[in-house]
This record gives sequence, structure tokens and C-alpha cells, in this order.
Amino acid sequence: MFALARLVVVGFFVLTIVYICLSLYSRSVRRDKLETEWREGGTEGANIEEFVQKGLEEYDGSLRRKLILGVYVIPIGIVSFIIYATNFM
Amino acid sequence: MGYIKWTFWITFWVLVASFFHYTLPQHDVARITDTYEKRIDFGENSLFWASADTGNAVTSVNRDVFFIQTRLSNDNVMVYRNEDTGWGWPPYFKFDTTNLQAEASDLKSVAETPQWVVIKHYGWRNEFMSIFPNAVSVRAVDDPNVRMIPWLNITF
Repeated sequence: MFALARLVVVGFFVLTIVYICLSLYSRSVRRDKLETEWREGGTEGANIEEFVQKGLEEYDGSLRRKLILGVYVIPIGIVSFIIYATNFM
Repeated sequence: MGYIKWTFWITFWVLVASFFHYTLPQHDVARITDTYEKRIDFGENSLFWASADTGNAVTSVNRDVFFIQTRLSNDNVMVYRNEDTGWGWPPYFKFDTTNLQAEASDLKSVAETPQWVVIKHYGWRNEFMSIFPNAVSVRAVDDPNVRMIPWLNITF
């Protein structure tokens, strides 16, 4: 079972790095989109920092951000499927 | 100078291609003639052997390895090993080696009354280094001319 523990630890470490990078990237894309939206006008006269801040707070609670946790779920799903297909099919 | 760059890239892609050729699964149609176990001492070719059955000790320099002897549908012989890959590399997560050996034993046949099987395997057979492909699964088929589409290889 040591080999499994090793795989879990290394996998968790790698996936956490991927999750962090993906989260930061997604948030910066969201920030860019909010700034572009403000520049195009029609945002009720709020100034840019408040508009972007409010938009980011909405983003923080959104489904899209929670979906990034799929980075953990998908490899576990693939490995489980491989184990089932190789050993039990 | 251009030759060096060209040689480097060719070598690089040859290595990448051979890595994938070794690791991705291939299918052979064969007739299993015998299954046996042999003690192997790992020497220079130890890179091409997998690990002990999961749950057993991993520190031995020799251990018993299952083999499956076959005659391919093109009349060449081929010998496969049958080892756990466990949680390690390549990521086949193969734990059912002993079960597979039992299935292979059950499908033994003689030339007069052949029982054809499709063996999914990875790895290479190299007589000079005594390395064998690792059989991952066996499946009985009626006709040695089955058409097999390597879905995983294509998508990957």
C-alpha cells in the first residue's frame, strides 16, 4: 500500500499546483473581461475599481470557480476507470 | 551546423515515438500454447521488467515471473510476460496478474484445434536483451482475422 500512498501524495501535490495555476489564470481572465466591459460603457457610472471588485466578488461565489475543482475529480475518475477496465472487465 | 540540429530533432522524436510505442497497448491474435513461471534475476535489462505483485515485498533482486507462450496468427512465436504494474509506471493499474494467468491457462490449445485469443499487451520482445512484452488482457475470439481498431492509441 506504500506505492498507493506515494501515488496519492505525488498526485495531490501535482494536481494542487495545476489547480492553483488554473484558478489564478481564470481569475485574471475574469478581471480582464470586467475591465473591458467597464470601458465599453453602460456600467451605471461606477468607477473602474469598484466595478471590477464587485464583479470579482460575484465571480468568487460562482459555479464556474467551483468547477475548477474538477481538476481533482477528473484524474481520479480516469484512474478508477482504468482500474475497472484492466482488472474487472 | 545544420546537420547537428537536424540530427538532434530526429533523435528526439525517435525517442518520443519509441516511448509511446513501448507504453501504449497493442493487440496480437495468437494461440496460447503454454503458460509457465520462471525465476528471473534482473540484470542489465531490469528497466524492462515490472514490479512484484502488489502487496508482496519489492526489494528482491530476483523473483518468479509468469510467462505466456503463444504462436501468433502469422506463424511466428511470441512469449509474453505477465506481471503486475500496480500503482507504478506504465499506468495500466494492472493488479489481476494471477487471474490473467488463470484465464490464459484455460485458453491453451493445440494446432489441430486452435483457440484464438486477442492479447492486449505493451512492451517489446527483444531476444538480445531477453525482454518480453507484458500481457494486459486476453480475450477469446472465434476467427483469427478479427479487425481491431486501436481506439486508445488513436485518441492518444
